[in-house]
Amino acid sequence: MLKKHIALIAFWILFMLPGPAAAKNTEDSLLQIPFQQIAEQARNHQVRWYMFGGWAHVNAWVDTYVAGEMKKRYDIDLVRVPMDAGIFINKLLNEKAAGKKTGNIDLLWINGENFKNAKEAGLLFGPFAQQLPNIRKYVDPESMAHDFGYPVEGYEAPYGRAQFVFEYDTAAVSAPPQTITGLNEWIRANPGSFTYPQPPDFTGSAFIRQLFYAVTGGHEQYLSGWDPDLFARKAPLLWNWLNAIEPFLWQKGQTYPKDSAFLDTLFSRGEVAFGMSYHPSHAQNKILEGSYPKSVRTFVMKDGSIYNTHFTAIPFNAPNKAGAMVLADFLISMDAQLSKYHPDKWGDFPALDLKRLNPKERKQFQSVDLGPATLGSDTLNPVAVPEIPSDYLEALEQGWKEHVLDN
Amino acid sequence: MKHAATFLVLILLFALPVVVLALVSLAPGWRFPDVWPADFSIKGLIYLAQHQRQILMSLGSSCLFSLLTVLTTLLMCLLPAAVFARSNFSGKALLEGLLLAPALVPPMTFAMGLHFLFIKFSLADTLAGVVLILAMFSYPYMFRSLVAGFQTMGKDYRLCAENLGAGTMSILLQVELPLLMPAVIAGGSVVFLVAFSEYFLVFLIGGGSVDSFTGTLFPLLNSSNRSLAAILTLIFLCLPIVLFLVIDTILVQAYRKKGMI
Amino acid sequence: MSWTIKHCLRLSPLILPYLVLFCGGVFLTVCQSFGILTPLPHEGGALDAYAKLLADPAFFASFFFSLGVAAVSALLAVITGTILAYRVWQLPRQLATASLVYKIPLILPHISVAFVILIFWSPSGIVASVAHWLGVIQTLHDFPNLLYSGWGIGMILAYTLKGTPFSMLLVMALLFRFDVRQIQTATMLGASGLRIFFTIVLPRLAPALHTGFIILFLYSFGAFDIPYVLSESRPGMLSIHVYNLYFKHDLARRPEAMAILVIMFCFAVLFIIAYSKIVNRLESGVRKL
Repeated sequence: MLKKHIALIAFWILFMLPGPAAAKNTEDSLLQIPFQQIAEQARNHQVRWYMFGGWAHVNAWVDTYVAGEMKKRYDIDLVRVPMDAGIFINKLLNEKAAGKKTGNIDLLWINGENFKNAKEAGLLFGPFAQQLPNIRKYVDPESMAHDFGYPVEGYEAPYGRAQFVFEYDTAAVSAPPQTITGLNEWIRANPGSFTYPQPPDFTGSAFIRQLFYAVTGGHEQYLSGWDPDLFARKAPLLWNWLNAIEPFLWQKGQTYPKDSAFLDTLFSRGEVAFGMSYHPSHAQNKILEGSYPKSVRTFVMKDGSIYNTHFTAIPFNAPNKAGAMVLADFLISMDAQLSKYHPDKWGDFPALDLKRLNPKERKQFQSVDLGPATLGSDTLNPVAVPEIPSDYLEALEQGWKEHVLDN
Repeated sequence: MKHAATFLVLILLFALPVVVLALVSLAPGWRFPDVWPADFSIKGLIYLAQHQRQILMSLGSSCLFSLLTVLTTLLMCLLPAAVFARSNFSGKALLEGLLLAPALVPPMTFAMGLHFLFIKFSLADTLAGVVLILAMFSYPYMFRSLVAGFQTMGKDYRLCAENLGAGTMSILLQVELPLLMPAVIAGGSVVFLVAFSEYFLVFLIGGGSVDSFTGTLFPLLNSSNRSLAAILTLIFLCLPIVLFLVIDTILVQAYRKKGMI
Repeated sequence: MSWTIKHCLRLSPLILPYLVLFCGGVFLTVCQSFGILTPLPHEGGALDAYAKLLADPAFFASFFFSLGVAAVSALLAVITGTILAYRVWQLPRQLATASLVYKIPLILPHISVAFVILIFWSPSGIVASVAHWLGVIQTLHDFPNLLYSGWGIGMILAYTLKGTPFSMLLVMALLFRFDVRQIQTATMLGASGLRIFFTIVLPRLAPALHTGFIILFLYSFGAFDIPYVLSESRPGMLSIHVYNLYFKHDLARRPEAMAILVIMFCFAVLFIIAYSKIVNRLESGVRKL
C-alpha cells in the first residue's frame, strides 16, 4: 500500500516540477566593457535569433553562412527561430507582464512600428549599438538615427537596406505601367490579374503606404510627424482608390494573399501578372532558385518607391545579451554584408556606408553581379522616398481593415 | 468491376496526393498548364541537405514530446482506467462524459487561458509545458483504449496473481501491463499522431523554444518553392509509419520470447 | 482505508490534472474574458468584451461561417467514410491489405492536408492543369474560384479529406464485428444491395456515425491549423479571429479573444449535450417500433 502512495506522490512531484531556474544577469556592464570581453563572454553559448521565417532563401543564408561563421569565429551556436515580428513582440509583452526576468529570445529582426511599440513598452535592451565596433567603423550615424521616423537611440543595430519594387514576367506583359495612374488603368483593363498581400503583411503594408504617397500628393507632408487631421483628410483618397479597383482584383477582391510569400506563389504560377517585394533583387533570387521563370524583370513606379533600413534588437530579458551583441555586430560586418548582397544568397542591400570602406572593399561590393532582373542604383535612387512615421503606418493598416476589407 | 471502382476512389483520394507530392518535391517550378512537370531539379533536396541538422533536430524534438505525451497519458490513465473498467459507482457515466470532454471541446479554449499562467510559472517555452498541454487534450484516446483493454482482460489474471501472493504494484507492472500492451499501443498511436501533427498548441506554449516538425514545415507551405514543403510532408508521412513498424516488430519478438503467441 | 478514498486516490492521476489544467484553464479563460487576471490591468466593465462582440456583425458572420464549414465538412466526411468503409469491407481479403492507403491522411498533419488541397485545387493547380489538358478550360482564369470563394470550400475539402479516413476507421471497427450471415440471409430473401445497406447495415453503424460526426464537427469548428493555410480574408473562421486578437494586437484586446473562446466553449458543450439527447430520443423511438 505504502509503495503505491509513494508512487503517486512521486508522480505529482514530477508533474509540478518547475522549469529551468533563471540565470543571473550581469548585463548592464555589457554597455561599458570593450567588445573583446563581450565576445569572450559569449563564447561557447547559444544565441537564439527570432525572425520572419517565410523566405526560404533568407533562412538558408542564416542557417548556413551566418551560423557557420558564428561557430567558426566566436564558437557560438546560432539557432534561428521563425516567428512573425508582431507575435514575438506580443510574447515579450506577455513575459514582461508576467514578470519573467529571463526569456528565451536573444536577438530580434525588427523595424518600424514593431520597434516603436517594443521600445515604448520597455521591451528592449540598450542602447547597445555604439558598443559594436563594426557600427562605429562602417555605419553612417545619420542612416541609423531614425526608423520609420521614430528615434532609434542605439536600441537597434542596422543590418540591411531595402527598396520596394514590382516584378513582372516579360513573356506575359510587354510594357508594365510606369505610374500609379497607369497601374489603375492596367488593373481595370486586365481583371483578375492583380492583387497585393493583405496588410499588416510587411510587403502589402508597404504597397499601400506607397499608394498613399502617390494618391495624396507626395511624401513630404507626412514626414514631420503624426497629424491626425491630415490623416483624416487624406486617407479617404486611398480607400476610394483601393475600393474602386477591388472588383478588378484577383478573386474579385473577395480575398487577399495573406503574406508576400503567398503573392510570390501566385505570381510564379502565373495567377497574377505582378509580384512585389521590398527587396530589389528578390526576383533574381527566385530565378536562381528555380521558382520564377527566367524572363521575370523588376520595375518601379515613377511616383516613388519606398526604401528603409532593417535592424536587429535585443529584448530586455534576453538570456544571452553578449551573444546577441556579437551576432548583431557580425551581421553588419563587411563579410556578412557582402555575402548577403549576392543575389544567389539573399540580395539584401548593404546597410554600411560604402564611402567608409577602403577602395578595395568598395570594389568588392561594386563588382557583385546583381543579375539581369535587378534594377541598378541609377533607376532605384531617383525614385527613392523615405518611410512614413510609424503612427501613420498603424493608422493605415487599421484603416485598410475597416474601409477596404470589411467594407 | 465494383471492387475496381472502390479501389479507384481509394487511390484517387488517398494515394494520388502522395504521388503528386513526390513529383512536386522534385519539380519546384511545376506550373499551369503542365499536367506533367516540364523540368525536374534536386534544389529541394539540396536545401534539405543544407538544413539537415535543423530538420533532424525538429524531427527529434517532435518525436520526443510526442513520446513523452504518450507516456504522460499512460501514467494519467492507467489506474483510473482500471477503476472505470472494474467497479461501478454512482455518477460514473457523468464522470466518464466529463473526462472525455477535453478531446471534444476546442483545445484553444483552455490552452490560451493557461498560457499566461504557464509564463508565470516558467512552464511556457519548456518541453514540460508542451507535453502537459498536449497530454491534456489527447488523454481521452488513451483512457478509452485502456478501459476497453481492462474490460477485455477481466479480473481473473489479477485474482490469480493475488492468490499467488503478488503485491498491487507488481501485479500492475508484471501481469497486467504486458497483457494491456495492445490497448496501450492502440491508444498510444492515436495520442502520438495527435501530438506529432499538432502545430498551433506547440507554437503557443513552446514559443519557438520547443522545436517541432510542424513548426519547421509551416512557413514553407505558402512559399513559392513548393518542393521543400512537399519533401518535408513526405518525411512526415514516413516517420510514424517507420516508428509503428519498429514497435510492432519489437512487440512481436517480445511476445514470441515469452511464448505468448 | 475505505472503499471511496481508495477509489479517489486511484482516480487522482487523472482527476487532478483534469481539475487543474482543463477546468483551471477554462476558468482562467472565463476570468480573462471578464478582464480579471489579464496581463495588463483591464479598464472598463466586466462585460465590455462580450458587449463589443455581440454588437459586431463580423463576429456573427464568422460564427455562422465556422458552423457551416464544420457541419458541411463533418457531414461529407461521415457519408464518404461510411460508404467507402462498407465497400472496403466487402473487398476480397487480398485487396483489403492494399486498401490500407486510406490511412495516409490519418497520419498527415492537418497543415499538410491543407497543402495537398492547395496543390490540387488552386486556380493554377493540378486539377486546373488537367482541365486545361482535357480542353475544359482555356486559361487559368476560366477555372472556377474554389479556394477563395468566400464559402470556405477549400477548408471544407481539406477537413473532408482528413475526416473521411477517420470515420472509415470508426465504421470499420464496427463492421468487423458484424455478422455477415445477416446480409447473406437478406440476399437469399431477395433484398437489393441498397436495401441491405440502409435497413441492415446502417442502423448498426449509427453509434460510430454519431461519434464521428461530433468529433469531426467540433474539431473543425474550433481548430486553427487548416484555416491558417486556407482561410479567406473574410469572413474568416473564429479561430483565426482569436489568433489575430491574441497575437496581432497589444494586450488590451485580450478579453475579446478570451470572450470568443468562452462562447466557443459553451457552444461545444451545449452541442454535445443537445446532440446526445436528440440521438437518444431518436434511438429509443426506433426501439419502440
